[in-house]
Amino acid sequence: MVNLDSLFNELDTIAVNPRIALDKYLVSGKKVIGCFPIYTPEELVHAAGMIPMGLWGGQTTPSVAGQYAPIFTCSLLRSCLEFGMLGKYQGISAALMPMLCDTYRGVSGAWRVGVKDIPLIAFIHPQNRKLAASREFLAAEYGAVKTKLEAIAGHAISDAAIKNSIGVYNAHQAAIREFCEVANDHLDVVTPKIRHTVMKSSHFMEKGAHTAIVSQIIDKLKQLPIHQWKGKKVILTGITGEPDDLLDLFAENKIAVVGDDLAQESRQFRTDIPKCGGPLESLAQQWLDRTACSTVHEVNSSRGKLIVDLARKYGAQGIAICLMKFCDVEEYEYPMLVKAAEDAGIPSLSLEIDQSTMNNEQSRTKIQSFAEMI
Amino acid sequence: MLTMGLDIGSTACKCIILEDGKNILGRAVVSSGAGTVGAQKVYDEALAMHSLKREDLGRLMVTGYGRFSFETADNQKSELSCHAKGIAFLMPTVRTIIDIGGQDAKALRLNAKGMLDSFVMNDKCAAGTGKFLEVMAGRLNVQTEELGDWDAKATEEASISSTCTVFAESEVISKLSMNVNLANLVAGIHRSVAKRVAVLAYRNGIVKDVAMSGGVALNKGVVRALGEELKTEILVHADCQLAGALGAALFAWEELCKQA
Amino acid sequence: MTETVAQKPKRPLPKSRVMVAAQTAKVYQDAWDAKARGEKIGWSTAIFPQEICETMGIPVLYPENNAAAISAKHLGDDLIAYAEGQMRYPMNICSYARLNLALAEKIQDPAYNTADPLLPSPDFVLLANNSCTQLMKWYENLSRNLNIPIFFVDCLFNYDEEKPAAYKVTYIRKQIESYIAEMEKFSGKKFDWDKFLEVQKRSQINSKLFDDIIQLNTRVPAPVNGFDFFNYMSCLVLCRGKESTTEIFKQLKLEIEEHIANGTTSFPAKEEYRVHWEGIACWPNLGHNLKTLKNYGVNAVINGYVTAWNIVYEPGNLDSMAYAYATSSTNSLTTETIMNMRSDTIKKFDCDGMLCHVNRSCKMMTFHIFVGRNIVEEKTGVPCSNFDGDQSDSRVYSEAQFETRVQGLVEIMKENKEAKNG
Repeated sequence: MVNLDSLFNELDTIAVNPRIALDKYLVSGKKVIGCFPIYTPEELVHAAGMIPMGLWGGQTTPSVAGQYAPIFTCSLLRSCLEFGMLGKYQGISAALMPMLCDTYRGVSGAWRVGVKDIPLIAFIHPQNRKLAASREFLAAEYGAVKTKLEAIAGHAISDAAIKNSIGVYNAHQAAIREFCEVANDHLDVVTPKIRHTVMKSSHFMEKGAHTAIVSQIIDKLKQLPIHQWKGKKVILTGITGEPDDLLDLFAENKIAVVGDDLAQESRQFRTDIPKCGGPLESLAQQWLDRTACSTVHEVNSSRGKLIVDLARKYGAQGIAICLMKFCDVEEYEYPMLVKAAEDAGIPSLSLEIDQSTMNNEQSRTKIQSFAEMI
Repeated sequence: MLTMGLDIGSTACKCIILEDGKNILGRAVVSSGAGTVGAQKVYDEALAMHSLKREDLGRLMVTGYGRFSFETADNQKSELSCHAKGIAFLMPTVRTIIDIGGQDAKALRLNAKGMLDSFVMNDKCAAGTGKFLEVMAGRLNVQTEELGDWDAKATEEASISSTCTVFAESEVISKLSMNVNLANLVAGIHRSVAKRVAVLAYRNGIVKDVAMSGGVALNKGVVRALGEELKTEILVHADCQLAGALGAALFAWEELCKQA
Repeated sequence: MTETVAQKPKRPLPKSRVMVAAQTAKVYQDAWDAKARGEKIGWSTAIFPQEICETMGIPVLYPENNAAAISAKHLGDDLIAYAEGQMRYPMNICSYARLNLALAEKIQDPAYNTADPLLPSPDFVLLANNSCTQLMKWYENLSRNLNIPIFFVDCLFNYDEEKPAAYKVTYIRKQIESYIAEMEKFSGKKFDWDKFLEVQKRSQINSKLFDDIIQLNTRVPAPVNGFDFFNYMSCLVLCRGKESTTEIFKQLKLEIEEHIANGTTSFPAKEEYRVHWEGIACWPNLGHNLKTLKNYGVNAVINGYVTAWNIVYEPGNLDSMAYAYATSSTNSLTTETIMNMRSDTIKKFDCDGMLCHVNRSCKMMTFHIFVGRNIVEEKTGVPCSNFDGDQSDSRVYSEAQFETRVQGLVEIMKENKEAKNG
């Protein structure tokens, strides 16, 4: 008898230790392609019959990564480099790396020297997105990525297969979005940690399989009576809102997460792949449709409006800005976010997300003070 | 009716006994912080001062870094809320509070009702905190408590440009070896702390009146330098180090009244 | 660059330096004058295709270069503090950006006059991300804060260091074409393709001339204090397509050739050691850098930056121009290639060591140093030493640390020399 708890536990096991999922896929004969954050054409990997697996770092105090990555660089990528250098990703056939920021420019070099057993498939998104030439370029760039994936898979990737995978991914996104809506009626059950786990686990599973579990979760939630949440509500914005300990601090202070603009979470699922010429053009157009993300060049960024609208829509009393340590693209947007919240009369909280620390004391005080304040 | 507020900080423990939510009956400070016997000591001292026992307290509220580990407390609240509360009680016109503690620095903003409105805390870095002053005082071979007096004797400020505590220390050593006047060095160190903390304050937004809170507020030199950086008068209450404990005692009183 | 040698120089500046100061002053003045006439002026990233606005006679100024100048005069700290405080920018972003974003706000008040040199407020910005991605975020902020348009040439970082595929060059070329058309509309000026050809040719002449000049410093002892080359960067950044730059470089070449003929040098001490300086200058701390190096007789005869403006292309060929901007050194070279280049340069310039400025603001260059330093050490056999600093933020540098690191490097270079000589 499958119940909500067992479904959540299944996803939790995967999210907390992706190595288990990776090993299962490898044992079953599947090839796995690592996918660096934030946006990679996973659909091409999927269409090749391989498994895309997100590389989102983890809490670790780097011991070897410092040889190649200065301490003042993005803590997420530093963790990834650490894990790569220590062999924790062993078994992955290659890694897709999007050149979304300067740290990637540097880490691509560091990875090639430090993690020689996992070849990189680097690629770049166009940032001047208003020209027609932009989509042409990206479709061709994805074509180059496809060719490299084909060499690893050992066979061609057909247009039909890509179209099918696009369908799978769009269905998955829709399921996640529905989960987030339904979750807000059951905040007693969907704690901040569980909400996060449902989305994080998607990075380590074949998307269709994840959709199946999420659909079951949605059905079971809908069978429960609607819960009137008496505590406070927040929106999270940033690259990631983790680790679990941090989310537990929200729960401890009776704060529920009712929406997010996190790169690891909702930013993955809010822009569908449109039908736009061939499948590579469609994938390219999805990138051009993306908005409100610090890695995407948008002349009049809509991110301030997005987080305020989210807060208003879901009745959040505050916005928690989860600033990834040393993430410069996010740092440049910080003043804009604080101002957007201020102008809207919504209190904001600044949290530092640092993968290199196990200590949450400052966050504990900040979240408690915020709860006492809003 | 008596309430007690206990502020278990990283380097010192403070205690206030409050009568009827408005009269400060007792104060105690012990210079050992969380994780030591400081909390128990300051609690015992405060009670002993007026021959009181735990049962005489209507409610006990704990705050500060060590607030989760005092067993006989009724409740705990964050030090940001408690500092805001305490300062608002001591100086009702204050809207901006800058609290430099042993290991961190905070800027708090209050709304017109004296309630905490927004806050910014420093980045886990020793620079701009009491720790920085302690390290520098050690280097100069003076007591941390003497720094304010030395500052008053300065004829000019020696420039300490580094943000990093370790680099700044080496600057101080280098200047000492060049026989730079000790008082002038102290003034420069205070300027360094003030600059760092001013950035924090500006980020949070400055609304008058501006006050300092926490142990470092007792250092007149830092107060001077910070006032110059923020281009405004900085109010310091004699009880500023106890603001957190006072706020906790006040919150305890409010909770007590709600129960009744 | 105006005054970059921090203390009063003991001898009068050479004529080429006077010409540089005049050239820079004119660039600024032209912009102020255009502004006063109600014409549009822009701010641009350093390696943006300058040829277009040069052709159209639209004044453009360069925030990176301006930030360097302000920092060299020790006037940057207050601006940086303002950016971190009132403007709330986290201190981890590039210090040029912090300084300039603060300045952009301050100059909206016509009474503001603390920074020097001041810039007139821009009506548009020109963005090329071939130096780094932070430029893109910085300029997004300028555009947003000042409510002005961005003209963007997205240069596509060459992650694989293969020659960029045709489809990449096409994307970049189309952006340049689009930019020309948009600038015509925006400025109301017509684009003169004949003049453009002339400007392109001039840019090539200037790039080649500077290259030739740098090579003169391979001589032992060097006729030039390598640090002096930083003073001519403004010609390449602000005036790459101008005739005045050709004149300055010709003059500089003359001066160096004179040194060679007379057996003199602009290095203010006996040259005991020659080093390759990796990274940009520590503008607020130039004085201390120079003094320390001079005390140990260390001439930083060459630095990695001077190759950054080698934008070589076929005039009249937009694809070639697009390709050149996409393959500028900061946009296209892996650590291995860069360090191999450094190794070649070190051998060519007879360097005894390499001194690496770990620039807190520049993560990209720092990665190269971390990942590739050992390549240089292995290939050349010369010692390398790092030190911490920043291009604009004076709080990151430690005089004691610099002294220690240089001294350590010198001690090894001394041992190596003695071992070689007997």
